[in-house]
Amino acid sequence: MDISRNTMEVATACATAAVGGIVCYGATQNGIGWNDGPEPGYFPFYIGCLIIVGSLVTIVQTVLRRTSVADIFIDGERLRTVVAFFLPIMALTLVSAWLGLYVGMALYTFYAMRVSAGFRTHTALFTAAIVVAVNFVIFEKIFMVPLLKGPILEYFGIY
Amino acid sequence: MGNFGQLMDGFAVALTTHHVMIMVMGVLLGLIVGVLPGLGAPNGVSLLLPLTFTMDPISAIILLTSMYWGALFGGSTTSILFNIPGEPSSVATTFDGYPMAKQGQAVRALTLAFTSAGLGALTGVIVITLLSSWVASFAMRFGAAEYFAVYFMAFASFIGMAGGSPFKTLVSMMLGFAAATVGIDTISGESRLTFEFDELIGGISFLIAVIGLFGLGELLLTMEEGLKFEGVKAKLDIRTIARTVAEVPRYWVTLVRSALIGCWMGITPGGPTAASFMSYALGRRFSRRGKYFGKGEPEGIVAPETADHSAGSCALLPMLALGIPGSATAAVMMGGLMIWGLSPGPMLFSTRPDFVWGLIASMYMGNIIAVVLVLATVPLFAFILRAPFTVVGPMITIVCVIGAYTVANHVFDIWLALAFGIVGYVFKKLDYPLAPFVLAMVLGDKAEDAFRQAMLTSDGSPAIFFSNPLVSTMMGLGILLLCLPLITAVFKGGLFGRAGDAGAQGRSA
Repeated sequence: MDISRNTMEVATACATAAVGGIVCYGATQNGIGWNDGPEPGYFPFYIGCLIIVGSLVTIVQTVLRRTSVADIFIDGERLRTVVAFFLPIMALTLVSAWLGLYVGMALYTFYAMRVSAGFRTHTALFTAAIVVAVNFVIFEKIFMVPLLKGPILEYFGIY
Repeated sequence: MGNFGQLMDGFAVALTTHHVMIMVMGVLLGLIVGVLPGLGAPNGVSLLLPLTFTMDPISAIILLTSMYWGALFGGSTTSILFNIPGEPSSVATTFDGYPMAKQGQAVRALTLAFTSAGLGALTGVIVITLLSSWVASFAMRFGAAEYFAVYFMAFASFIGMAGGSPFKTLVSMMLGFAAATVGIDTISGESRLTFEFDELIGGISFLIAVIGLFGLGELLLTMEEGLKFEGVKAKLDIRTIARTVAEVPRYWVTLVRSALIGCWMGITPGGPTAASFMSYALGRRFSRRGKYFGKGEPEGIVAPETADHSAGSCALLPMLALGIPGSATAAVMMGGLMIWGLSPGPMLFSTRPDFVWGLIASMYMGNIIAVVLVLATVPLFAFILRAPFTVVGPMITIVCVIGAYTVANHVFDIWLALAFGIVGYVFKKLDYPLAPFVLAMVLGDKAEDAFRQAMLTSDGSPAIFFSNPLVSTMMGLGILLLCLPLITAVFKGGLFGRAGDAGAQGRSA
């Protein structure tokens, strides 16, 4: 499954145009008029309009330009690589929101070392432990920036 | 003159043991950030920024700028040894650096790069020393309208001088503005573009955007390319280094030309990336040895490196004197200044001379420390880069996720950063420039405030922007810059013909 560059150009420009539309809509709720100077929504409204204009011109340019039709944005194999890298990051965020950043990074490191990099189980475990320890010392001890602990660490009395 | 005395006071501030230690630490962190593909100066600095909130501003800015120097030098190391630019601005260094390293002259290539980079940076700092007070005193006469005109010029020059499609630059910049608008409006107190989401009331921090766009986005790109490190062995020996340093003065024409390009591109917000490409291109065009460029030609290393570093240093001048950052990294640092309670701009020179001149003095020191450290750590980084990217990538991811969280201790920010990561990935692949986005996010509010304050003083008449020669000149220049792509398009024939093929200059960081 290949995605052509032109498809992606148009899709992206449509997405930015949609964002522009949302910005315009949001701005109308603050008033977009001019009463001895701009109302709060005045600038956002025209910013939204410019986003839409820029996106539309990009779409027109893409459609009119025929030289690079064959360009591929990404092919199936590369897409799988990128997704396989990105999904665990989303899982990391989900777990971190629920059980705290330290638990999240430990599980994520273990997964990345064991599954993606293909190390043996105890090497992966060891790496995860080191990552957590190093981050704990850097953030909690040296810079005194507390990271999200989550219920498990709090159960053990670590705040 | 006065500047020199103040510079000496600055050295007294910068040369304390505490600050030298901070410089060493900053440079080392910067080297790591610069060497690792997927982490660059802008997001390295923004990852470090939350940790500086509790430090005093002078130590904090010294830490951040030292990190910046380290990152600039580190980026060149990987360009030469592995043909992988650690930084967008060191892409041009790979053209001749890697071929030379492959011919077995890695040490010569590295020494050439670091020496010319050091000279470039020093030129930049000297320019800052000479010009900063002058620019600041000039800027003291600024009112709200003049400030808006300066911001307008900065934005216009990004659209006008960007290498790629001006419309993509426009979209990228306006998205940045829109993101900056989210949250409470500073003048009316109303909440804007929050759509009843509590998480958005506080606004979107530009740090989150930088971590996502530059950090996670770059990681996804690197992952997709499936990096294979083809390293060249680098063993340092002092004699080669000494011989190469002695060789550098021979390239003085290239050095001077590149430093000039770098200073110009740094002060106008062209940024180091654009500067290094331009310098390389001009070098190939004008040098007598131009036809050897690309095959391991020494001048092909000297030209981009000198310009890269002089632009990197000069980018801090408009940030300090006018409150306008010349590069994405400077934009992040400026955000830091505001968070530490300092307002960048001409007033900074009279309210906190110790800060400004301490910073300038630390630039001299920081660059010297960086040259020494980068030479000493080459074998170490060569070792780190032997590790496969499947190991290094997740480590960088963790750093980015933690960085996004520490900005405001919100999990929601991590999700935002992930979203920005996808945006950054797609935008980079489609040649949307990212620097305008960051610039607009940092300056958007200020530009709007300046405009609305100007409107308050003039009772809503836009004539205030043409009320005196200074402000009209700047507005005129800005409009001219905006029209620049249109003018060139007319001369080159066809608005839709060439605008699509974005050069690498457009990816300026």
